[in-house]
Amino acid sequence: MGVGIDVGSTTTKGVLLDSSGNIVAKSLMLTGASAAQAVEKIIQNISSSANINLNGVPMISTGYGRARVEQAEKSVTEITCHSVGVHHINPAIRLLIDVGGQDAKAIRIGSSGKPEDFELNDKCSAGTGRFLEVMARVLDVSLNELGPLALQSKKPCSISSTCTVFAESEVIGHIGAGESAADIAAGVHVSMVSKIAALSKRVGVREPVCVTGGVALNPAFRHYLSIQLGVELWIPEEPQLTGALGAAVLAIQERGDRS
Amino acid sequence: MTQERASEEKPYRRLETQSLLQQIAFRHGLEAMEASENGNLAWVTSGFPVEIPIAMNLGVVYPEQAGAIVGAQKIGPEVCGYAEDLGYSQDLCSYARASIGSTEKPEKVPMGSLPTPQILLACNNICGTVLRWYDAISEMTGAPVFLLDTPPLEKVQLPHNQEYVRRGVERLIEFIGSHFNRTLEEERIREVAELSSRATKLWIRALEACKNKPSPLNCADRFLTMAPVVSSRGTEHCAEFYESFVEEVEDRVRNGIGAIRDEKIRLLWDNIPPWHTLKFFNILASRGVVFPADTYTHAWTGNMVGTDTSSIIDEVVGVYSKVYLNMGLDAKVDKMCQLIEDYDLDGFVMFSVRSCKRYSLGQLVSKELVTERTGVPGVVIEGDMVDSRVYNAAQIETRVDALLEMLM
Repeated sequence: MGVGIDVGSTTTKGVLLDSSGNIVAKSLMLTGASAAQAVEKIIQNISSSANINLNGVPMISTGYGRARVEQAEKSVTEITCHSVGVHHINPAIRLLIDVGGQDAKAIRIGSSGKPEDFELNDKCSAGTGRFLEVMARVLDVSLNELGPLALQSKKPCSISSTCTVFAESEVIGHIGAGESAADIAAGVHVSMVSKIAALSKRVGVREPVCVTGGVALNPAFRHYLSIQLGVELWIPEEPQLTGALGAAVLAIQERGDRS
Repeated sequence: MTQERASEEKPYRRLETQSLLQQIAFRHGLEAMEASENGNLAWVTSGFPVEIPIAMNLGVVYPEQAGAIVGAQKIGPEVCGYAEDLGYSQDLCSYARASIGSTEKPEKVPMGSLPTPQILLACNNICGTVLRWYDAISEMTGAPVFLLDTPPLEKVQLPHNQEYVRRGVERLIEFIGSHFNRTLEEERIREVAELSSRATKLWIRALEACKNKPSPLNCADRFLTMAPVVSSRGTEHCAEFYESFVEEVEDRVRNGIGAIRDEKIRLLWDNIPPWHTLKFFNILASRGVVFPADTYTHAWTGNMVGTDTSSIIDEVVGVYSKVYLNMGLDAKVDKMCQLIEDYDLDGFVMFSVRSCKRYSLGQLVSKELVTERTGVPGVVIEGDMVDSRVYNAAQIETRVDALLEMLM
């Protein structure tokens, strides 16, 4: 068995795998102000849902808060963990695009499941989940409603700025000009997708392509990204869990290597 | 013994010659102060043919080196801030900001401010910012600026380009001559060129010793020991320092002693280092990562030997025009590929320096080209050499860790 804990900027995720690689338990919650508390809660959730004492079960942590997980034997970057996690469910995937709360990654996965090359967004939130959160707030809809709203649009507004703060004032301008919320929401997605597409092209768009992270749950994001890249996208059933899943796979491998 | 035991615990080994380096830096500082008091001090850019002012008996100092010291002292944001208070943009080169800031408020920068210059010598082979930067210093200090213009090259230096730069070097000699009322003596320039070559050859020997496994030097070692070859080449004490240095380096090689205790992964470093966070290299050393080569310290390997003033000027023209930053992206990609091959490196880290556009432009493309040609992976990290405000340690750690995970 092995446990993977992924401490992301928005959510913390945990996965418990059995030795055959099947998910025995999983948990997801908002990270909040204390990563350590979130981790503790996630471990409790997994333990009680699987009804197993996790003492002695190998654990690997990942995500931006990976160093804060005291219970983990080792921490591995989210780049490697997402790659390994996706490879575990679909070994054919060659390009992985992971868009989380504060970063966006494009990772080329090798045939062994390890990353071969990768690119991350720099010090800018424009191509991340945070961008959509800010825009949903301006448009006065929930994050879950933003994607479906955008898909109603026939004529997306143009959002020229690639900066979250300036794009926000541009959106406010469109609202003032009487544009429909659907067209503005669609414009927001097109703008964000163009950043992610550029990042992906730098690594090389090799099919099949997979999208993970919280933003993969957004149907408008998937729709416009698929159009911009000109490929079909494969989305795992639980795109937020692949980092934790990869960490759990590595935890089992690590223990196997040692024994 | 106690000391030895303490150092045994560290993942890296300290060079004995480092104490000699401190003496040289101290001496260099005193000489510069004396030259300034005597009305003989030139401020020069790092790629300037320093052999000429030295042969004409001027004292020389390097504002870029002073910028590195400001960075290493972790006062970069504060000192750059003094320049920003004057209206300079945060996007301006942080060496320039540190230099302008410490000239504005020297009392606040005891270690990083330089004695007053009588002349400012800039060469644009490393970047175009140097001219405007030296213009600003000129306004503040009253010292005149001389620009040696070296138009960019593509692969070879064409005759008209060579002739143009040669005329520039001749004008430089006339400029110093008329400003300080002196001439360039042939015997002296020959002596200086010879000393410069001696130091450079020794420096190259030390760099090339890093082809050995384990590598006798890590990045931080070279960034510190490069100081004399940058600032004092052409002087006796510079050449003497490198004799002791090479002796220590080659002794390490003979005895199989590495710069770090457990060398597992060998990487190439591209660009100027983050002077405020040199511990970056020591942290990686504890994980078995060594950097046997980098593009920055390999930039001071031009060698000149000539028989008379005229042939030495020809050498100066060639060496200082063919700095790879003056030769376009292909030259830099070639250099990186060559270093990866010659030093048997497993991957590379490219530091995208926010304020050094000339060095950092094109890194994303070069990364692809280098990987395509050498087959080894690389990563681009972002920050700045002096201004630690734009250095995000957590982001950098994730990128470098991911590269190491690809290699392990």
